[in-house]
Amino acid sequence: MKKIKRNPEIAWREEEEMRNKVEEILKQGGETEEVSKKGTVTLVYSGAMHQLNLLGGEIWKLCDGTRTEEEIGEELLKTFDAERDIILKDLKEFILDLQNKKWLFYE
Amino acid sequence: MNKNTPAMMPLAANWALTVRCNFNCNHCYSRTDSSPELALKEIKVIVDKLVRSRVLFVNFGGGEPLLRKDLFEIANYAKRRGLHISMNSNGSLITKAAAKNIKESGFRQVGISMDSHLSGIHDKFRNAPGSHKKAIAAIGRLKKAGIEVSVSSVICKINHTNFEKIIALAKKLKVNKINLHNYKCGGREFANRDNLDLSPEEWRDFYGKVLEIKSREKEMDISLDDPIIASLKNTENKSLVQGSICGKLSFYIKSNGDMTPCGFIPTKIGNILTDSFKEAWESSPILHTMRNKEPKGKCKKCKFFTSCIGGCTARAYAISGDFNSPDPHCWYEPKN
Repeated sequence: MKKIKRNPEIAWREEEEMRNKVEEILKQGGETEEVSKKGTVTLVYSGAMHQLNLLGGEIWKLCDGTRTEEEIGEELLKTFDAERDIILKDLKEFILDLQNKKWLFYE
Repeated sequence: MNKNTPAMMPLAANWALTVRCNFNCNHCYSRTDSSPELALKEIKVIVDKLVRSRVLFVNFGGGEPLLRKDLFEIANYAKRRGLHISMNSNGSLITKAAAKNIKESGFRQVGISMDSHLSGIHDKFRNAPGSHKKAIAAIGRLKKAGIEVSVSSVICKINHTNFEKIIALAKKLKVNKINLHNYKCGGREFANRDNLDLSPEEWRDFYGKVLEIKSREKEMDISLDDPIIASLKNTENKSLVQGSICGKLSFYIKSNGDMTPCGFIPTKIGNILTDSFKEAWESSPILHTMRNKEPKGKCKKCKFFTSCIGGCTARAYAISGDFNSPDPHCWYEPKN
């Protein structure tokens, strides 16, 4: 199976303070919808800025060229307390979307 | 995310490594600055601080950055520490060997200043005979060395009606990005504003035309950095914040290490070498004011304030001494 890799032209960083804040909200039973709007990873590509939420950010970090989609899915299931089918469906959609944008590719 | 008050560290630093320059341009913002330069050792300390603060981009400017003999060593160090580095240059010192060094030291992108498609106008404006020819030669050498090149033009009286010809020249040179910078009011720009700056109506007409070209232009990435275009159609905000990004996502480092919100606001928020960067960035009352601007004057009743946040804070401050004043370039008159 092919591994998934980030586009090396994209500059990015994790927003640690925001990530800690989001994790705190989730710990306290906050709404998933509320945290889904908060950016924990910032990307800059072709002069435009983008942010990924907690799940998107975790997927992004795992796309370092050492894992297949299945392996990324397994990693996410260890981190997120959600149904397997939902996580894997979200992962597939996310990867497809970012692949279309040329932010991620298979190698 | 609250677009006006992001709780995040800056993404980019604009850094004047030197204020020395071999040109003498009529619109130069740094020619009135006589700050000393830092030593290589101190510069490396700053690079480390930027990396620790998770800054992603550093754009070297000045002055002419290539006048620093240690520029390539600085760039190489910054690149090795993970920063994405670029520079603005007048191009005059970019020989074939310099272009190779620029590439090898890790620069991703170089912006070459171009004030006109006509050499006579460009050379006269820069008080540097032959500078247009050198800028064109530099673009060719950089491209050959594999560097991404952009053309940078400060829009003013000498080029606002024929900027399309600068775009055409850039295309001819196989450059696919042009930065059309708005006229700020720092240094000589302030002193020469009566002769060089446009009226609000001229700015409206200029931006209207650029946006029209931008919407149909496929080969050229036309970049505009002026928040006041929010009142025109076809505008697209590619930033994480509304209004100016200065003091929100970017900041400026002077040649002596002093930090300001941008290169056009002379107000110091700290010194990156001697002060805590995090504290300056998070606690500066100046930055707080810039991030939380209150509408004044015509901005109070303007429907576009939530998008442009009063426009360019540097211009407002230069002309009125008040960060919250409306941008003097703004043409829009809100209805009651």
